[in-house]
Amino acid sequence: MKMTLMATKTSIWQWPTLSGRPPLLAVLGPLGVVLLLVVSANLVEFSFMHIIRSGRPFIDFMQNLLVMPDWVFMPQLLTKMLETVEITLLATAIALVISFPLGILAAKNASPCPLIFNVTRNLLSVIRSLPELVWALVFVSALGLGPLPGVMALAVVTVGFMGKFFAESIEVVGENAVEGIQAHGANRLQVIWYSMLPQAMPDFIGSLLYILDHNLRAAAILGLVGAGGIGYDMVMSMRLFNYNRIILIVMSIYLLVTLLDRLSVRLRMKLIHGQAREALQ
Amino acid sequence: MAIIEINDVSKTYPNGCSALDSICLSIEEGQFVAIIGPSGSGKTTLIRLMNGLEPATKGCVVVDNLKVCKHHLRKIRSRVGMVFQHFNLVDQLNVMTNVLSGRLSRRHWLPSMLYLFHKTDYAAATEALRRVELLGKAWTRADKLSGGQQQRAGVARALAQEPKMILADEPVASLDPVIGRGIIKLLKEISERDGITVVANLHQVKMVRQFADRVIGLHNGRIVFDGSPSRLDDAALHRIYYGVTNENDLNGNKDQHLAVAYP
Repeated sequence: MKMTLMATKTSIWQWPTLSGRPPLLAVLGPLGVVLLLVVSANLVEFSFMHIIRSGRPFIDFMQNLLVMPDWVFMPQLLTKMLETVEITLLATAIALVISFPLGILAAKNASPCPLIFNVTRNLLSVIRSLPELVWALVFVSALGLGPLPGVMALAVVTVGFMGKFFAESIEVVGENAVEGIQAHGANRLQVIWYSMLPQAMPDFIGSLLYILDHNLRAAAILGLVGAGGIGYDMVMSMRLFNYNRIILIVMSIYLLVTLLDRLSVRLRMKLIHGQAREALQ
Repeated sequence: MAIIEINDVSKTYPNGCSALDSICLSIEEGQFVAIIGPSGSGKTTLIRLMNGLEPATKGCVVVDNLKVCKHHLRKIRSRVGMVFQHFNLVDQLNVMTNVLSGRLSRRHWLPSMLYLFHKTDYAAATEALRRVELLGKAWTRADKLSGGQQQRAGVARALAQEPKMILADEPVASLDPVIGRGIIKLLKEISERDGITVVANLHQVKMVRQFADRVIGLHNGRIVFDGSPSRLDDAALHRIYYGVTNENDLNGNKDQHLAVAYP
């Protein structure tokens, strides 16, 4: 009786493959990932018990933040936040100008030849391989302390990311529209300009807004190595246990990031769907 | 004078699929030529050979006295407009810019990088839009148009180019019969009034009979019919769509086939 039930069960339910069994990769893939995690968890000393036991000190630390903000700190905070925003905008703008042509060269369908494509792709990953803070250290030792090395470090890393994102948004554009422009005798550059860029633009604007968001947070810690922005004050307050300042710094970064996020949602709607009001309603 | 000469052309795709087999064809200037044949018979490949969107594996194609090769590609394409099954407009640009893009071939790259066009370009684009009755939508984004409107914008783009020939790859396959008929009528009128050669892939035998000056029938990558639409009788249609030359092979169910196949 049990056997027949089993038999009918297997005959009714079946995977949409030729053999009726689940695809091998779908079984082995997740299994492999779990195995990898189990092995590597040991390597980074991952332990649930340790995390659970650390709950108490964490709460203790968070309680420290429940203090009256140090309002005297406000003017200095505002100047430093302004500096952070300026570093972000300047670095992103510089990176935009540089990564626009690099992105075109690094896109398989827009690049003039495979050699240039490979060289730019590799250049972009080399730039990306060092994080902002390391680039900041390099520029601080070259240019001295202050916001300038911060701008340079952030701009360099952003070129690495933005160039890659831009290249990828060009690579996925629809072939049809490209052919539509090609068939009427446009040259290479015109084909890129009139069929690839307009199609890649919404995607690219999305990446740009994400990068702006990311750069704001990155600029906030550049001060850690003396490269300007709010980071220096943040680290110093942390070290001196000035919780009444930390709470102000955290809140202001949160406010800025949220504001930027709201703005980017609106902008994206407008650019992707043509009109903002239509899309939001 | 012949605007297109196709000499013993074969096309085999890299995956080994043979699309065209020793095609010889010459198309006279100013005619409306319809290419018909079942799906997969090589119609699209034949059309795409004519402006080099697809290179031939063997033989040579000569368009307006220029051999289709890498060197002449842009020169040929600047004289040949194209209308596509899926319109192939750039969705993010407005209709006017899409139509103006038909004139890119005659402009220097520098102003076109700034999306600047000459006054004469606007005149040609406006006239083209007027002819396809789409002037009211000139500043609308292309993806906001209906299918029929998009195809008319596609025709306007080809017209704005002031080409010697327009290639139309199944221009009405994504449209309803009434709108599709309007597009074909438009292409016919363009060929008659402006003397522009039109080569179109079509599936609608009725429209072919009404509008074409010449019909080319393809089956399995070979030309099996070439003549005026008045000669396109049932036997010819069978030769084209079933590849059967002998009527005795039809085994008496010919009428049923016909009823289904040729609306």
